[in-house]
Amino acid sequence: MKIATTRILIVFLISILCVSCSERNYFDNGETAESFTRGKTVYRLGDDISWKNTSVNDSLWAEDITIKEDQIFWSRTDVEIIKAPDKLKQYGIILNQFGEFEVFWDGVLICKSGDPNNSLNSDRKGKMISKFIIPKELSTKGKHKLAIRKSIHFHLDYNQFFYFYIANYDQILRGDLKSMVFIHIFAGAFLMAALYFLFLFLSDRKSFTTLVFSVNCFLFFLLILFEYVRSYIDIHYSNHHTRLEIIGIITFLISVLTPLYFSLQFKFPKRTKILVVYTAILVYIFFREHENHDSSAYNMVVFMWYVSLAIVVFGVIKKMNGAKIVLISLLASIYFNQVINYDISIHIGFSVILLGMFYILSLRTKEQRLAYENSLVQSTRLKLELLKKSIQPHFLMNTLTSLIDWVEEAPDKGVLFIEALAEEFDVLNQVENETLIPIAQEIKLCKSHISIMRFRKEIDYLWEDEGINENIEQLIPPAVIHTLLENSITHCLPSDENSMRFKLIAFTTKNTQEYTFLTFGNIRNQQKKTSDGTGFKYIKARLTESYGDDWTFTSEPTNEGWKNTITIQK
Amino acid sequence: MKILIIEDEIRIAKRVERMTKEFFLNTLQKITSVQSLDEGLEHIKNNQLDLVLLDLNLNGEDGFDVLKETATGSFHTIIISANKEEALKAFEFGVLDFVPKPFNKERIELAFNRIVKKEEVGTENLQFLAVKKRGGIHLVNIDQVNYIKGAGVYTEIFLTNGEKELHDKSLEKLSQLLPKSFERIHKSYLVKTTEIKEIIVKTGSQYAVELQNGEILPVGRTKYKALKEKLFK
Repeated sequence: MKIATTRILIVFLISILCVSCSERNYFDNGETAESFTRGKTVYRLGDDISWKNTSVNDSLWAEDITIKEDQIFWSRTDVEIIKAPDKLKQYGIILNQFGEFEVFWDGVLICKSGDPNNSLNSDRKGKMISKFIIPKELSTKGKHKLAIRKSIHFHLDYNQFFYFYIANYDQILRGDLKSMVFIHIFAGAFLMAALYFLFLFLSDRKSFTTLVFSVNCFLFFLLILFEYVRSYIDIHYSNHHTRLEIIGIITFLISVLTPLYFSLQFKFPKRTKILVVYTAILVYIFFREHENHDSSAYNMVVFMWYVSLAIVVFGVIKKMNGAKIVLISLLASIYFNQVINYDISIHIGFSVILLGMFYILSLRTKEQRLAYENSLVQSTRLKLELLKKSIQPHFLMNTLTSLIDWVEEAPDKGVLFIEALAEEFDVLNQVENETLIPIAQEIKLCKSHISIMRFRKEIDYLWEDEGINENIEQLIPPAVIHTLLENSITHCLPSDENSMRFKLIAFTTKNTQEYTFLTFGNIRNQQKKTSDGTGFKYIKARLTESYGDDWTFTSEPTNEGWKNTITIQK
Repeated sequence: MKILIIEDEIRIAKRVERMTKEFFLNTLQKITSVQSLDEGLEHIKNNQLDLVLLDLNLNGEDGFDVLKETATGSFHTIIISANKEEALKAFEFGVLDFVPKPFNKERIELAFNRIVKKEEVGTENLQFLAVKKRGGIHLVNIDQVNYIKGAGVYTEIFLTNGEKELHDKSLEKLSQLLPKSFERIHKSYLVKTTEIKEIIVKTGSQYAVELQNGEILPVGRTKYKALKEKLFK
């Protein structure tokens, strides 16, 4: 049932996206022209200043011409002003084209950008995007002629692009400013985020995820800068291509890093393979229609969105922390894609996705903090547990009672008993603050415990060990073997000769450290389970504290008594 | 005197045994020492006993299971344990004394004296009387007890709900364990004083009490004065 609903959800999401994508024109600036309509644009090679006049017959001019480097050519466009500007208002025109040019409106020169006679123009002052006022007396309702005299030196293959827009002049100026201010708030936020997470990474070099996030934020900041730099810096048309190239590369990098980041947060099987294939496809998209920069960028972003969605949906199915919120943010980005034009929606959509990434990062930070706090509490608890071993009433009071008896009945033996007790306390004091101790010290602790128990139980306890080598590092959390020894003394009966034998075998290889602790005796109560006892909990908690998941611990009866095995992966 | 010691620490068991022997001397008929609960329960089942000396923490097993069992027995139980915080709970089940470890000769003899001198425990901690019932052990809350009647070596416990339970301990032993709210009014009767409605004085120095539920119980001539003092003080 659960899988079925998830499938339906995925199909639903994909269909929404397909519909939304198919209807989008990535080159739509979202304008709704109320004041004018664009007519046909025609071209002609050559240069004649009279071509600026409205009266010139351009019916034989071509709609498409092959231009030559540095050669002057003209374009003439019909424009109809539907509504004359209001009183005290004036129309402006925004032009977006390549080359050095002069613009004539109804035969009157209204603006000049660079010098068409010298298209190699060394000072490169010609702007790619230019905004000019149309004289009030020329913007009457009716037909007009927009004639442009221009020449191109750089990027001839890119010359056909020509865009203009007529509106109130103040509106033209303000419109750009509005979206810029808005989008630069995002840019600032992402710069700050990039720096913050960079510092976080510098303080914890192991946190690769933080670095990915930081770089992604920084790339996003750069993307906004390069996208909008044209609004406040005059870019010569020859540099426009470079700018688009940079935007393409940044988009490519973001498209690689975003799913990588999600894959680090929501770990799915065969990650590396899938990501390599993904990157390969991305490279293909990047180079396929390379010169069509906007299209490539858009396709990369859409592809990234799909892959990210797949990863996040996987996270949701596996009920991973934060996956749902990120999924919502991904879906919200479709909404922005639907309602706002591409240039802006890609940034808002990205921002929303990045907010989602922010959110999971904050969740992870919280998880880490809690885990750290827990580990501190756990360590303190284990330390207390260790200390309690020597002062818990059952041990201490029974020992003291036996001790009194020995002192009263055989004072000289009593002294030996006290010495054994002192020895155990001494070793416990030495190891209380450690999380790992040499096995030799643990054996010392066990032997002192045996001495005490010998006096208390009057059983002949014997200790053997094997494979202990002072020259190599053989470590163990404190009182682990000691706990096993206590358990054996409690749960095993001595043999017929009133003796009980313990044997510790240490087996060290390059990658593992194994300890086998054997008890030779009769088990007191076969049915009774000890694996849930506080002793075993202590051992497991201690091993986890030092080795995480890289250990195993087994405990089982044998024909001769009991066998415990601890294996640690180094 | 037949005594059982349940203690898994051999040295301590020996110490208890030695001190017991020194105290009871020739009144001691038999003393047995076992190291586990199972052995202890087995021994209790098969032998007539006067006293059980019990360690509550044996090889990691909970001694309270045995305590419930021993509390139903005809014998007294003395706990010898390292866990003092268990003392209160032990008294709730009706033990004669709780000797904390480590102990000396004086302390254990104090406990033994309670048996010999038939001293009252003088605690208010007894909460339950453990009775054997339908094969299991049933804990009767002290608040539900009206009075107890001696019937030879065992006793009959009369409850507020009109029911009657049998207990293996003698009236003598129970009177040692029960809190002060219970008064011995007759050689065969122990009554909760709060249940007494009035004292009836009959002709010829014959006394009786009427309980809240209307039952009338005899009062021993020697007990009358003490009872009167307690009620009208």
